[in-house]
Amino acid sequence: MKTKKLSKIEFKHQRVLIVWAAIICLYGFIFYYVPLVGWLMAFQNYKPVLGVFKSEFIGLDKFKFLFEDESFIRVIRNTFAMGIINLVCTFVMAILFAILLNEIKTKGSKKVVQTISYLPHFLSWIIVTGILHDALSGSGIINELLMNFHIISKPIDFFAHEGYFWPIVAFANVWKETGWNAIIYLAAITSIDPSLYEAAAIDGAGRWAKIKHVTLPGIKPTIMILLLMNVGNILNAGFEIQYLLGNGLVQKVSQTIDIYVLKWGISQADYSLGTAAGIFKSVVSIGLILVFNNIAKRHGEERLF
Amino acid sequence: MEQKRRRKKISGADLAFRICNGIFMIAFVIVTLYPVLNTLAISFNEGTDALRGGIYLWPRVFTLKNYTTVLQKDNLITGAYITVLRTIIGTLLALVTNAILAFIVSRKNFIFAKSVSLFWVITMYVNGGLIPTFLLYKSLGLTNSFAVYVIPGMISAFNMLVIRTYMRGIPDSLEESAQLDGAGYTTIFLKIISPLCKPVYATVALFVAVFQWNSWFDAMLYNRMSTQYTTLQYELMKLLSSVSNQSSSAEAMKNSEGSITPTSIRAAATIVTMLPIVCIYPFLQKYFVTGLTLGGVKE
Amino acid sequence: MKKKLVSALLITGMLSSMFAGCGKSAGGGGAVNADGIKEFTAFFAVPGNEINNDNEIQGLIAEKTGCKVKESWLTGQSAEEAVGTFIAGGEYPDFIDGGNSSVQLYEAGALIPIDEYYDDYPNIRNYFTDQEWDMLRQSDGHIYWIPQFSKINGEERVCQHNDEAFWIQTRVLEWAGYPEVHTMDQYFDLIESYNEANPTMEDGTANIPYTILCDDWRYFCLENAPQFLDGYPNDGSVIVDPETLTVIDYNTTPTAKKYFEKLNEEYKKGIVDQESFTQTYDEYIAKLSTGRVLGMIDQWWDFYNTAGDAIKSAGLDKQGCEYVPLPITIEEGMTNQWHNSGGAFNASSGLAITTSCPDVEGALQFVNDLLAQDVHDLRFWGVEGVDYEVGDDGLYYRTPEMRTNCADSSYKAAHLCFYSYFPQFNGTSQDGKNAMKPENQENEFYDGLSDNLKKCFDAYGVKTYVEMLGTSPAPGPWYPMYSYSQTLTTSTPGGVAWNKIGEVKHEYLPKVVMAENFEAGWEDYMKVYNECKPEDFLSEMQTELERRVEMAAKYQ
Repeated sequence: MKTKKLSKIEFKHQRVLIVWAAIICLYGFIFYYVPLVGWLMAFQNYKPVLGVFKSEFIGLDKFKFLFEDESFIRVIRNTFAMGIINLVCTFVMAILFAILLNEIKTKGSKKVVQTISYLPHFLSWIIVTGILHDALSGSGIINELLMNFHIISKPIDFFAHEGYFWPIVAFANVWKETGWNAIIYLAAITSIDPSLYEAAAIDGAGRWAKIKHVTLPGIKPTIMILLLMNVGNILNAGFEIQYLLGNGLVQKVSQTIDIYVLKWGISQADYSLGTAAGIFKSVVSIGLILVFNNIAKRHGEERLF
Repeated sequence: MEQKRRRKKISGADLAFRICNGIFMIAFVIVTLYPVLNTLAISFNEGTDALRGGIYLWPRVFTLKNYTTVLQKDNLITGAYITVLRTIIGTLLALVTNAILAFIVSRKNFIFAKSVSLFWVITMYVNGGLIPTFLLYKSLGLTNSFAVYVIPGMISAFNMLVIRTYMRGIPDSLEESAQLDGAGYTTIFLKIISPLCKPVYATVALFVAVFQWNSWFDAMLYNRMSTQYTTLQYELMKLLSSVSNQSSSAEAMKNSEGSITPTSIRAAATIVTMLPIVCIYPFLQKYFVTGLTLGGVKE
Repeated sequence: MKKKLVSALLITGMLSSMFAGCGKSAGGGGAVNADGIKEFTAFFAVPGNEINNDNEIQGLIAEKTGCKVKESWLTGQSAEEAVGTFIAGGEYPDFIDGGNSSVQLYEAGALIPIDEYYDDYPNIRNYFTDQEWDMLRQSDGHIYWIPQFSKINGEERVCQHNDEAFWIQTRVLEWAGYPEVHTMDQYFDLIESYNEANPTMEDGTANIPYTILCDDWRYFCLENAPQFLDGYPNDGSVIVDPETLTVIDYNTTPTAKKYFEKLNEEYKKGIVDQESFTQTYDEYIAKLSTGRVLGMIDQWWDFYNTAGDAIKSAGLDKQGCEYVPLPITIEEGMTNQWHNSGGAFNASSGLAITTSCPDVEGALQFVNDLLAQDVHDLRFWGVEGVDYEVGDDGLYYRTPEMRTNCADSSYKAAHLCFYSYFPQFNGTSQDGKNAMKPENQENEFYDGLSDNLKKCFDAYGVKTYVEMLGTSPAPGPWYPMYSYSQTLTTSTPGGVAWNKIGEVKHEYLPKVVMAENFEAGWEDYMKVYNECKPEDFLSEMQTELERRVEMAAKYQ
């Protein structure tokens, strides 16, 4: 590997880059790093009255509270599980959809399909979960279909069984976001040099071969970058959707870290607990990013930094 | 290119693929279109009647009441004006700054490329919390101002990385030959790289514009008392909250003809917000659906 | 391209600087506007109805009082978050009601001590008795907020039972010849036998005999009945024994077990809706709206304005699908306390004036003026001849058209101005005839009822919902205990226990009702329940109870 050295000529040459980078990073420092002073709250018994600098320090009490609580360990598990399932499902579906859409050669229908596909993104979760809840209820369309095809003999109460909850959440995510997430991949596909397809065609490649040897490698950097970013977001598996779809019977599998924080932190005016959970999430996220970025580096793939 | 393909005999496998793909797309369209049509139907249905459920694709008791209620909301015009403004200004600012940053860190020989990237990647996963952020904005004089909509979220690591990835895909040879011609980075950015990045710029512009268009939390948090900076979505949220609240206020002997409910108002508000985006979308869409008609990389 | 970009940037820059330029802090603070009207700002940490800027009655009140208030409400945030941000920023609206976070505002020194001023404002001073004012004193001995809702002027006037009850459709009562129903067993027997005789509605839709709403915080429809069944009022989190002045945990009483056993039995029989525990609030309201549900426990405000309306507008009132409350206890012959007289005096929050308000006297004068009878009538009844008429007997009434208008949300936003989180009166007007608020005016109330409801009320010899249940005297001075349990946080063992109990009940109460073997299910539940250390919670409640009783004892 070539070692970089800041020679005088190079410095002069790169000066404009360095100046702009410095200005932009100063902006980043102010708007993203300065507020992190608030992390002090996790080690305090924070009272809005006293503020971040005067509240009483209590050390690691809040972290102890979290990690000694059985239910917090459980919500970590739920969050990880749903985060991973959602990541895999939404990711695969978005790429698949983008590629298949790209294979439609009629421009008109391609545009129409694409426009329709992203519309659910604009519906709020409360609307989407409402429709999903109806569809899966005892007299809903899913149960009716299953009964008509004699797959089941009496309606399944999907929301009363813990086993169905994670798949339902994954489905809802796929349903709402596939078309929207595909936009990035569609943009990436446009950057593929058409001569590559022509060359592949001359080599006698069929559809699948072209997808496999041209399209996928062409969007691989985009896939890698998004994958890395989303791996860091696994712990942000959501709040609203689980909150809206969950109920007492499935709460053992439905509660995520964000719901836990709302119940124990915000709604009880315990800012410190919420901050402690937030720090935990940040640390795990950055740890995951570092690990996966390294793996990507070792395999010579596109990486975050 | 297309003609060439058409002249060729369509193989059996190809035909099977097309049919399967067609079926998949039709199924996909039906499944994704349904919730939208359902929302549309509910938005045209009388509120109390809709409470009974069972509305699918067509309103049962037709009314325009939900829309008139939404459109008569006080401050809606101000909100719409500010929202349009923040969408335009916010998108422009974000696009320019993210593109500049992405350009800088995508230069392969830039000495700080890695550290600057890391600096920004971390911002995606840390968050100081509501109150410290509020205090910061207040001390910067951003509260009770329009600037709070467009300045704080301007550069985001996500958008920057998306642009960066795209820029990295552009062959180095272009930059090198321009440099040999004596072009500086500014020229390379404006004349060589940016024209090739239209699809990704369009993508990021869409992301930012939609984010700006849908934002309301910042309006509530930082401009609660400055109604001149209210946004469309905040006004709609307040309306929704008002309507929801009526069901918990004791009101005697309500005569309910043509009354509205949170569900019906939410549906109408959703359609009202969605419509402008659906209308503007085709203009952006050509950049990422039409495929590569931009003249390739040989400019 | 470059030119375009540059000009775009220029425009952007100009626009942003323009907007930053006029970013001065927004109005309020008793500033006098062009018409000579003082303008105040207010924030209430609850969701509320926003009114238009040019609201008509707000204008009329401004003419009378010289003041108007721009109100804003909680949207998409918790009260604690909103108040926390205000405190951190150190800037407040002129008026504020911080809800559960009121104490934080006091501790932050954000509020004006009202007792240093109130002697000059008779309507405020006389709003409460000395004893009531003293209950509002904070640790420094001053009074900072005025609870707005509990004041009753003159004779109490209530027609609706706004609270919790076992509800039943009038068609069930009519079919059975309007029997007296006093116990839970009688209630379920009645529903069962009706459903056996009439399994469907007129259009053939199957009835749902009994459903339980169990969605998130609304699970009170399942969980808190044991306190009422034992004849206690709605203290919320515990029962208070008025003899011994001790708190009792209503989750573990023999009555609780009987109640859940009954539900379990009815669940197995198919009388309790099988979807009870997974239905959302919207689905529950949809079921009620179709008129299929014969009975349930709920709070009136939780279903009436949605499902009640839908039933009427679909004409289902003619089939007897409207609900009336029944005075049910666990055994015959007990007094029930589903309905208590007297407002619940909630000392934990109220309207306050902040240190950011530069014109405290003006603000207090406005509150004082809002309590004058003519302004109060404007707030709650509206404009005479437009929103109500005065009969020859001096009684106010509304025409059907007026009723429609006053229920219309656009009309309300443009015309009506309740100032609903400012102090107000219930009970009887100064004229001794009319009710302070239209919903409590008996003639208005009875006129608005459907024929089936009138028939039902006549059969029981009553005129209002409240009379269906009977009214118990106001509970002791500690009431309501929930105003304390609401404020518990994880910083005390009691708060932790309280939160855990909630979690456990959310999960296990449905399981108990659905259990194949009730005894085993109940045992499981009790085991997990006791692991939450309910004793920690109870002892903190006991301490608070004693504090409240002691406070009250000073005046006896």
